[in-house]
Amino acid sequence: MNRPPPPDPARALVVIPALNEEDSLPAILAEMRAVAPDYAVLVLDDGSRDRTSQVARDHGVRVVRHPFNLGVGAAMQTGFRWALAHGYDIAVQLDADGQHDPRYLDALVEPVRRGACDVAIGSRYLESGHYRTPRFRRMGMLLFAGIVRLALRRRITDTTSGFRAYGREAMEVCQYEFPKDFPDAPLLIALARRGFRLEEVPVRMRERQAGTSFYTLGKSLYYPYKNLLASLMAWIQRTR
Amino acid sequence: MVFLSRTQIIVAFGAAGLAVYVLDLVRRRRLSEEYSFLWVIATVSIAVLGFCTPLLQWLTRLIGAMFESSTVFALGLAFATAMLLYLSVKMSRLSQENQVLARELALLRSELEQRRGAGAA
Repeated sequence: MNRPPPPDPARALVVIPALNEEDSLPAILAEMRAVAPDYAVLVLDDGSRDRTSQVARDHGVRVVRHPFNLGVGAAMQTGFRWALAHGYDIAVQLDADGQHDPRYLDALVEPVRRGACDVAIGSRYLESGHYRTPRFRRMGMLLFAGIVRLALRRRITDTTSGFRAYGREAMEVCQYEFPKDFPDAPLLIALARRGFRLEEVPVRMRERQAGTSFYTLGKSLYYPYKNLLASLMAWIQRTR
Repeated sequence: MVFLSRTQIIVAFGAAGLAVYVLDLVRRRRLSEEYSFLWVIATVSIAVLGFCTPLLQWLTRLIGAMFESSTVFALGLAFATAMLLYLSVKMSRLSQENQVLARELALLRSELEQRRGAGAA
């Protein structure tokens, strides 16, 4: 893990957190090879019970596998650590279910690479409404967008987008402090409070192509509580 | 020794017995000293109140309780609450540490696999 960083500047790593995604991984990995072959890919198997790790290895990408399920945020933390240890300057989260389109990777990475921001957020709401959200989810998203707006005194249109690019400094903090389960509004507030610059980039998101949504019924009850509390805490917590 | 009620006798001996059991758990290394602390305080103080009726009556007047039994139950509930909160805090920390260990293990294993692959090639 202590190999010297490579000389070429601003290398970007695409981290694909995957939990039981053996069905959707081949498609997204093939698409990555086709439309974004320059990016290094790391599949972060978050304790899958299916052949996720094996499928990823068969496609020739590096795999880090959690011994048991830790949450998508924890998977990203491991991804950040791996990226830093291997000399990457930017890490992008790309979901395995096909929601995130690799064609937008360049657009997402560019402002971070240029140094215009520390974290670039792929927003599906910046461009006029092509993405349909169920009403119940939409209400929750509006609530958290409002909280983020209050806390940061600026607008983030897509607080729940996982399609983000993180620069080195942001990764160095996030590898230790990152919401383990829902890295949404509280994360954005915490990052901004630490002085990291956030920027939104318009992206299109697709309907998920396989597997089930991460947000199940039980989580949909816990989610508002956890995120509300964590947002308020991120707002008032002292930054260490 | 004057007991106010049969309940007091049961509680007093029960608490004393529990205190002895807790200490025995520590002796047999089944319970660490750290975790025994709250248990010993709770059982010993309830046992002391159970056997020392004047002290129990004084404390009851002090906190304004109607009956001596309420004092003992309030005390027991307070200790139970404190214990649960303490355990929740401990558990949060443990699961945090568990996460860190699991992530570190995942990274080390991937590194090991990589090195093995490079060595074989």
